[in-house]
Amino acid sequence: MLVLTRKVGERIRIGDDVTVQVLEVRGGQVRLGLAAPADVRIFREEIFRLVQSQNDRSRLPDPDSMTSAANAWEAYVDGRRG
Amino acid sequence: MVDAAEQLGDDAGATIHVRSRRFGTFDVPADRVLTFPQGLIGFPEASRFVILEHRPGSPFRWMLSLDDPELGFAVANPGELVAGYEPPLELACRLLQAPAEHVALFVIVTIPSDPSAMTVNLMAPVVVDTRTRAARQLVLEGSRLGTGHRVLAAMEPAQPER
Repeated sequence: MLVLTRKVGERIRIGDDVTVQVLEVRGGQVRLGLAAPADVRIFREEIFRLVQSQNDRSRLPDPDSMTSAANAWEAYVDGRRG
Repeated sequence: MVDAAEQLGDDAGATIHVRSRRFGTFDVPADRVLTFPQGLIGFPEASRFVILEHRPGSPFRWMLSLDDPELGFAVANPGELVAGYEPPLELACRLLQAPAEHVALFVIVTIPSDPSAMTVNLMAPVVVDTRTRAARQLVLEGSRLGTGHRVLAAMEPAQPER
């Protein structure tokens, strides 16, 4: 891992078009300003992991699970109609 | 916003033949292929998907990978499953650089072994530019929408066996 020391207001550039600026350091927290093109996805690490693991859990093991969900949905809708 | 099932197919041109042990064999018109330039989150190698109907009356659709034929998801139009759902259209339009009338949105469904406990990921919907079929999984940080929204009412009383 590359380790850099920056002062408040200073920036780091990643590639040609991503910059990270240290905006504020207070207590145990650092506020960062990030500028990147729209096609670069920027997430807090824990949010990325949350979505990644949900996507992984959503992989269909087989076509039957889709059918079982559709059946459950239909039974639910029928039940609500009474 | 459009219903993607209507907009994502023009029935013309070349087809792609997909052979999956898990999902069977099917042909996909080349002009129905969605491209995720950055891949689906957690699946960076899976950039090409196709969305196919499940069965008449079903709100669910298949979203199958063309790069990994064994990778498939159930997706749905959240408007059909979640009362009062409001799509994050502004963000979708900005990130796709598409006007709202060319944006389609799906949520990924998680189907556990008890399908009545199925959930949808409202925090990270899939949005598609229906003109180019460029797709992206949004992440709505800071919204109150979660990754595991129960679809069927959680407190539904159990039905007696008949």
